[in-house]
Amino acid sequence: MSVSVEWSAWRVALAGMRDALSLPAWVVGFGLIGVGSLARDVGYPVEVAVLSTMLVWAGPSQVIFFASIAAGAAWSAIAIAVGFASLRFLPMTVAILPLLRRPGQSVWMQLLLAHYVAVTAWTEGLRRLPHVPPPQRVAYFLGFANACMAMSSLGTFLGYYLIGALPIPFAAGLMCLTPIFFLASLSAGVRHRGDVAAILLGLVLAPICARFIGGGFDLIVAGLIAGTLAFLLRPRKPA
Amino acid sequence: MTQPLITQPIPWLDGPFWPFLALLLFAVLPTEIWRWLAVAFSRRLDANSPALEWVRAVATALLAGIVAKLIVAPPGALAAVPLALRVGALAVTLGIMLFDRRRVMLAVLAGEAALIGGAYWLLTP
Repeated sequence: MSVSVEWSAWRVALAGMRDALSLPAWVVGFGLIGVGSLARDVGYPVEVAVLSTMLVWAGPSQVIFFASIAAGAAWSAIAIAVGFASLRFLPMTVAILPLLRRPGQSVWMQLLLAHYVAVTAWTEGLRRLPHVPPPQRVAYFLGFANACMAMSSLGTFLGYYLIGALPIPFAAGLMCLTPIFFLASLSAGVRHRGDVAAILLGLVLAPICARFIGGGFDLIVAGLIAGTLAFLLRPRKPA
Repeated sequence: MTQPLITQPIPWLDGPFWPFLALLLFAVLPTEIWRWLAVAFSRRLDANSPALEWVRAVATALLAGIVAKLIVAPPGALAAVPLALRVGALAVTLGIMLFDRRRVMLAVLAGEAALIGGAYWLLTP
């Protein structure tokens, strides 16, 4: 949906929400159902499950947090594993903030915008924000991201009470929604052969690194190697 | 049922609010810190600089890596589905996206249909 320069902030935010509810918000919402069920398994209250979605706002990190508690991991090991899983937010946030930055914008606003950076808001944001007029981008992004967060909180809440009751094929389908959507979303955002290389090399190298590198470092190593190769393969801009 | 394996609270911090405290200390903080650092860093970077192109390439590869890891070593109920079916569902999605990049919804639904349908066909006697 295209956004006009003349629209009020609220109308732009609503357009963002509408775009989110066209699919992405539903996918993250469904994707976080599993987190609710994991939180329940370790005996934590439903408030902690829903708060983890709103405050951590990173499905893989939440899965690691609750699954590690269930496995009896040390608190330090849990914090390190979550930290590594979330390291990707550093480059991701650095990449998206220039699209959202405005003259005179406060650091607090940037911290707030950065909080919403997670896979969905990031891939969809990089794809959609360039088509939104720069003064409207913050409102659009906040509308989009908050719609995703609201659906996800609802999904986490429902999962806390529901998932154990589902037949395996549907439970598996819900768990698989995350990787399927990540991949579709990444493919939709492809701009040139460098992006294609990053996706394919990442897909191939991650399981190989997982096999040979331990201690939770495998994903970072795979990402650095695949990303650097893809960077070298990117087409050069005409000077 | 008792769960002897579960990670126990840190004794001197234990109390009714322990789960909330654990969430803040061991999940929110290690995640949010990277977003904060990014805000500090990004002010000094130009959007079209090669450094940012590299950062974006690494982030894209990391995300693709997570997809591969979730498929190869899946959590929970997904592990009950054979690897070939998980990879197949992903291939269906990728195939549709290669055919037409705007068909995100169709690609997601077709991948899911392949997985759930296949799981029913394989797992129900």
